[in-house]
Amino acid sequence: MNIYKYASPATFYPVAGKMIPWFAIPSAILFAVGLFVGFFVAPTDFQQGDAYRIIFIHVPAAWMAMLLYVLMAIYAGIGWTFNARLASMMASAIAITGAMFTVLSLVTGALWGKPTWGTYWAWDARMTSTLILLFLYIGFISLQAAIDDPRRADRAGAVLALVGVINVPIIYFSVQWWNTLHQGATIRILGKPSIAAPMLAAMLIMLAACWLYSVAVVLIRLRCIILEREQNASRFAEVGV
Amino acid sequence: MNWPDLSMGGYGFYVWGSYIFSLIAIVWELWSLSHRKKAIVQQQQLSRSVPASVLRESANETTS
Repeated sequence: MNIYKYASPATFYPVAGKMIPWFAIPSAILFAVGLFVGFFVAPTDFQQGDAYRIIFIHVPAAWMAMLLYVLMAIYAGIGWTFNARLASMMASAIAITGAMFTVLSLVTGALWGKPTWGTYWAWDARMTSTLILLFLYIGFISLQAAIDDPRRADRAGAVLALVGVINVPIIYFSVQWWNTLHQGATIRILGKPSIAAPMLAAMLIMLAACWLYSVAVVLIRLRCIILEREQNASRFAEVGV
Repeated sequence: MNWPDLSMGGYGFYVWGSYIFSLIAIVWELWSLSHRKKAIVQQQQLSRSVPASVLRESANETTS
């Protein structure tokens, strides 16, 4: 089986259509399960009370914002290096969802910050670097929208995405490198998490839901982008221009 | 199973505000995608109704 044939937008279009329900339906189920565990099973925190329940949307949104940026940069880089149209289209499709999760992480973080720190916003390293991530997403989307030629737009976007990827480790390690108002990592790759098991379960279920949602939405948007970019080309080809 | 207090111990505005904002963002994203798809389909139908001669003319205008 030649998997490279799926690098063609026209070939991938129907495959993406078939994949969408496999991500969208489990995502909806996991959102329901995650919210149930988060609100009905997880106990009230002894320090923060019920305000901590924002964690079930804030942390998954923040992780998705960073993860989607890295994926966007990888796809943009592949598209630029190998002149792969589908990879560039994928980068464009990821950008809006990534920006949305960044906005969600900033807004829910602000709403969590007020009862816990006494302020909606502080110019600390974690919050400022996340705001820069939002500006990078907006820059990528605006740059692509400002250039008429899709190939040139993809190349310009790829440069910005690849340069901006340096901000992701800065966001992640900011709480270790600088003395910030933001709390340290709740979950570590190595070592025990610092929260109770039902809280951790709800957070991981919500993370899985956000991940599946992102894949479904990105595939829907990718199909739109394929239609937008290919329809003119195919129509002009039909009439022999 | 713990039934949560709807006032969230006095933090209801912040907790429910976060979830309502998230719901609005997700609904907006799904609505904008469906709107975008509808626009593409409409544009495709419009494009098919444009005669080939007009398309050739417009291509000549943009390339010359």
